[in-house]
Amino acid sequence: MPIHDNLSAPDVIADPYPYFHQLRAEDPVHWNPLWGGWILTRHDDVQASFQDRRLSADRMSPFMAGLKKEEARELQPSYQIFSKWMVFTDPPQHTRLRMLVNKAFTPRRVESLRPRIQAIVDELLDRVIPAGRMELIHDFAYLLPVTVIAELLGVPARDHENIKKWSDEITLFIFGAIGVPDRRQRAQLAMLELANYLKAVIAERRQQSQDDLISALIAAQEQDDALTDDEIVSTCALVLFGGHETTTNLISSSVHALLKNPEQRHKLAENPSLISTAVEEFLRYDGPSKSMVRLALEDFELRGKQIKKGQRLLLIQSAANHDPERFADPDGLDITRQPNPHVAFGYGIHFCLGAPLARVETAITINTILQRLPKLRFAADTLEWHPTIVSRALKALPVAFS
Amino acid sequence: MRRLRISVDHTKCVGLTMCVNTARATFVLDESGKSSVSNPQGDTEEKIMEAAENCPVSAITIEDAETGERRFP
Repeated sequence: MPIHDNLSAPDVIADPYPYFHQLRAEDPVHWNPLWGGWILTRHDDVQASFQDRRLSADRMSPFMAGLKKEEARELQPSYQIFSKWMVFTDPPQHTRLRMLVNKAFTPRRVESLRPRIQAIVDELLDRVIPAGRMELIHDFAYLLPVTVIAELLGVPARDHENIKKWSDEITLFIFGAIGVPDRRQRAQLAMLELANYLKAVIAERRQQSQDDLISALIAAQEQDDALTDDEIVSTCALVLFGGHETTTNLISSSVHALLKNPEQRHKLAENPSLISTAVEEFLRYDGPSKSMVRLALEDFELRGKQIKKGQRLLLIQSAANHDPERFADPDGLDITRQPNPHVAFGYGIHFCLGAPLARVETAITINTILQRLPKLRFAADTLEWHPTIVSRALKALPVAFS
Repeated sequence: MRRLRISVDHTKCVGLTMCVNTARATFVLDESGKSSVSNPQGDTEEKIMEAAENCPVSAITIEDAETGERRFP
C-alpha cells in the first residue's frame, strides 16, 4: 500500500499507530506535500531533532510572514502575546524565561502540592459518585488541572470557568483545529480577554504579593528587571493554557488505556506502588502530544534527504514512542516497563515545563480512581478523537461505576 | 569548601540544560546531548545545589566526597 499523506484521515485520527508504523518502516524522513513539510517517525531522529540547533522552535514568525497583509495586521495584537511564549522562542530569550518559571515546577515544589491535589481529586469524585456515571473529561479531567494550575499561578477560584472558556478558544489556534471558520480571530479575542484579565490580577499582586507564581514573577522583575510587563502576561497565559489542555488529555488517555487492558489495570489496582512506571507507560503508549513542529534554519541532510532552510519538520512523538527498535512490543501496554525513554514531554531545552506536575496529577488521579471506583467501565460503544495533527485528545469518555 | 561528589543519571537526563545554565563551570552538555560534570568544584555549593533542585527529572545526585553523606535529593 503506498503511503498516503492525509494526517487528518479519519482512520489516522482514530488510531494513528498503524500509519506511523508504515511511515517509519518505509520512509522515516518523509516529504508530505499535503502538509508541506518533513515527517519524522524514528525515535532516534525525533530525539536528536529536539536537540538540533539547526532547527528552530519559532514557527510563529514564518506563520505571520506567510499571511496576507490585512490578516497579519489584524492578528498583530495576539501575535505580540503568542510570540513571547517560550515554546515558540529559541535561546537566549527562551533560556531567560525558562530559568525563571522553572523554579515553580521543580519536583520538590510539585511534591509539596500533593495533599492539595489529592483533596481536589477526592472532592471531584465525591460530586459524581452518587450518579454512578460520568463523562470523565467534562466532569473530572477538565476540572482537576485547571484548578491546580490556577491555584499555583494565583488566580481566584471564581474565575476558573472563564479561564477554561478562553483556553478552549485558544486551543482552536494552537492545536490547529481544522474546519473551524474564523478560528484565528476567535483565538485572538480569547487571548486578548485573558491578557486583560491577567493584567488586572498582576496589578493586584503588585499591591499585595502572595505565595504564588504571579507574585514570584513580579518579584523577579523587580529584582533584576529580568522580565517586561508583556512577558509576565504572556508567560502567565502560557502556563494557564499549557497547564491544563494536555493534562486533561493525559488523564483521559490513561483511564482509556487501563479500560482497554484489564490485566494491566488489575495489576496496578493490586500494586499501587507501580504508579510511577505506569504513568510513564501511559505517556508512551498514547500520550497527549502527538507531534511538534520545528523549522530548518539552514540546509542539511537527514537520512539521505535534503532538508532546505525554511522548510518545516513534524517530529512525531507518538511514532517515536512506538518505535520497535527502541521499545519491545511497542503497541502493548506494560505498566512495569523500564527503562522507558519515551519523548512524550519532548526532549532538550523545550522539555515540558509542567512534566513534574502532570506526573503527580496523573499518578494521584489514577490510583484514587482505581481505589474508589473499582467497577469502572466504558459507558459508550464508540469513542471519537479531536481531528488535530499535533495532539491526541478524546472528545469524550463516558464511564459508569455503580 | 567541602568537596562534593556529583553524578548525573543518564537514564533520566533529557538534556534540558537547566543545570548547565545554573552552574556553567560545573556541568556541561556532552556529545550524547546529556549533562556531565566537568568540574565538581566549578561553582559555589549554593549554585550546584540550585542546579540539582532545578532538574525536572531529578537526574542529579550530590554527596559529600569525604563522608559520603547524601546532600541531594
